Amino acid sequence: MLNQLTSYLNSNQTPGQAGNMLWVLIYILVVFGGVSLFVMVMNWVERKALAHFQIRLGPMRVGPHGLLQPIADALKLFTKEDVMPEGADKAIFWSAPVWVVLTGFTTLIVVPFGMTHAVTDMNIGILYMLGISSLGVLGIIMAGWSSNSHYPLLGSLRSSAQMVSYEVAMGLAIVSAIVMTSFTGLGMYGAGTTPGVGTLSMIEIVKAQQAQHVWFVFKFFPLGFMAFGIFAVAMVAETNRAPFDLPEAESELVAGFHTEYSGLRWSLFMLAEYAGMVAVSSIATTLWLGGWLRPFPNLLPGSTWDLAFSFVPGLTILFVAAVTIRQALKMPQHPALRANKIGMLGLGLFIAFLGLVLFIPGVRVRVGDIFWFCLKVGFFIYLYIWYRATFPRYRFDQLMKVGWKVLLPLALGVLIVTGVVGLTPELTAWVKGLFA
Amino acid sequence: MTLPKIARKFLLLDLLKGLSVTFRYQAPKEIYTEQYPLERPEIAERYRGLPRLNVNPETGETLCIACDLCAKACPEHLIVVESERDPATKRKVLTNYTYDVSRCMFCGLCEEACSTDALELTQDYEIAQFEREGLVLDRARLERGPEPTVYTR
Repeated sequence: MLNQLTSYLNSNQTPGQAGNMLWVLIYILVVFGGVSLFVMVMNWVERKALAHFQIRLGPMRVGPHGLLQPIADALKLFTKEDVMPEGADKAIFWSAPVWVVLTGFTTLIVVPFGMTHAVTDMNIGILYMLGISSLGVLGIIMAGWSSNSHYPLLGSLRSSAQMVSYEVAMGLAIVSAIVMTSFTGLGMYGAGTTPGVGTLSMIEIVKAQQAQHVWFVFKFFPLGFMAFGIFAVAMVAETNRAPFDLPEAESELVAGFHTEYSGLRWSLFMLAEYAGMVAVSSIATTLWLGGWLRPFPNLLPGSTWDLAFSFVPGLTILFVAAVTIRQALKMPQHPALRANKIGMLGLGLFIAFLGLVLFIPGVRVRVGDIFWFCLKVGFFIYLYIWYRATFPRYRFDQLMKVGWKVLLPLALGVLIVTGVVGLTPELTAWVKGLFA
Repeated sequence: MTLPKIARKFLLLDLLKGLSVTFRYQAPKEIYTEQYPLERPEIAERYRGLPRLNVNPETGETLCIACDLCAKACPEHLIVVESERDPATKRKVLTNYTYDVSRCMFCGLCEEACSTDALELTQDYEIAQFEREGLVLDRARLERGPEPTVYTR
C-alpha cells in the first residue's frame, strides 16, 4: 500500500489517469474539503468586502475581525430547527438540496488545479462540467416545485428560464475557446509553429495555451477577449449572482427557490451556490486565463525565471501573514480584546509558517501551479463580490434581452469570425486553388 | 445615437465607471461605525437620561429638602416624595423617593423645578430592563446614580 502511495508521486499524471484509486480518493477528499473550506472563507471575505464597499465594518464580534463568523454561522445552522412545510412533497423536498450539492461538487473533479493536480482528466472534461452543472438547475426546480409555495415556485421558474437562456451564449463562448485550441497561433498573437490539437480535456486546453504561447483571452485579439467577456457575463447569470440574482431576488421573492428551506438544508443550497461559483470561475480560468500556468511561461523561460516565480506563492502568503500580524498589533489596548489579539497573532504566525513551508524545494515545485490557479479563481470570486456591490438587479425582461438579443448574436458572431480567422491559411489556399 | 455614445455602450464604460466608484469606497478610513460596547459615544452634557438624587459630597447627606416641587412639576405624576417632619428642627426630612422611569418622557421639568439642584437627569442612557418593576427607582438607587454596564466577554 505504501508502495502504491509513493509510486504515484513519480508518475506525473493525474491519479485518475494513473489508475491509482487510493490517490483518487485522497484527491477527492482534498478537493471537496478544500472547496468547502474555501466556501467558508469566501463567506467571510464576501461579507467583509461587501461591508467595506458600503463603508461598513462587517462582522467584527466573533473572533478577531469576525474571522470565526462562518464557524458560528455554521454551528447556528446545524442546530436550527429543520422545518418542512405541511403541503410539501416530502421526498423531493428532501432530495433537492442533496441533488444541488451533488451536482455542484461533482463538477469539481475535472478541474485542473495543476498539470497533475486534478482528480482525473477526461477527454470530454469541459463538456462534462457543463453537463453536470446544468443538471443543478433540476435541483432548483425540484426545490421550488416541492415547497408548495408561491415564491419558491416563481423563483425556480425564473431560475430555469435564466439558466436556459444564458447556457446558450455561455456554450457558444466556450465553443469558440475550444475552437481556438485547434488553430495554430497567428503572428504576434502566438507562435505559429505548433499545430493545433483540438481537445475538450481541461488539462489539454491549458497545455494548448502553453504550446501556442498565448492565453486564449489574448488570442485573435479582440475575439478571445470578447468570448471571455461573454462568458464572464453569462457565468454570473448561471450562478444566480447579483446583478442577475432574480431567482432569489430578496426584495421581490423573499429568497426565491429556497424560501421554505431552513437550517442545514438551506446551508446546503448556499454551499452549492458557492461551489458553483468556484466551478464556473475555474472554467473561465482554464479556458481563457491559462489555468495553472504562471505569468509569461514562454516570454520569460528558463530555470532562473522558474525559480524566481516559484518563490511568489511563499512570498504572497508571507505578505498575508505580515498584514495579519500588523492588524493584530494595531488592535486597541482593551482587556476585552486581549484574547482576540492573541488569536490574531497566532493566526498570523501560522500563516507565516505556511508561507515558510512553501519555500521548501519539494513543496515549492508541486504547489506553484495550484497557487496560480487559485489566484486566478480568487480574482473571479472578488469580481463576483465587486459586481454585487456595484450593479443593481436587472428586470426580468432586461435579463432576457441581454441574454438573447445581445450575448447570443455576439457569441455566434465571435465564433464564426474566430473560425474564419483561424482557418485563414486554409481558406486562402482554397481561394488560390479556385483561380489556379 | 452619436458614435461616442455607441462606443461608450459597447465598451461598457459606464459599468467600469461604476465599478471604479465602488472600488474607491473600500478604504477603511471612510468607516464611521462605532464598536459600541468597546467604544462608547460621547454624550452631550445637556442630555437628559436616567435621573439621580445628588448628595452633599462632603457629608453624604441628601440635598433634597422634600419640598415636593419636582412631583408637582412632573406632567406624568411619576415622582413620589415621602417625608416626615423632624420634631427637633421642625424641618421636613426625606424618607423615601420613587421615580418611575417607565413613564418618564425625560422632559426635564422636574430638574428645572428643583430648588437645591438635588434632582438631576444624568447622561446615562442604558436604561433597558427585563421587567417594568426594575424601572421604578427608589431613593437608594437614585442616590447611587448611573451604573453603566461594564462589558466583558
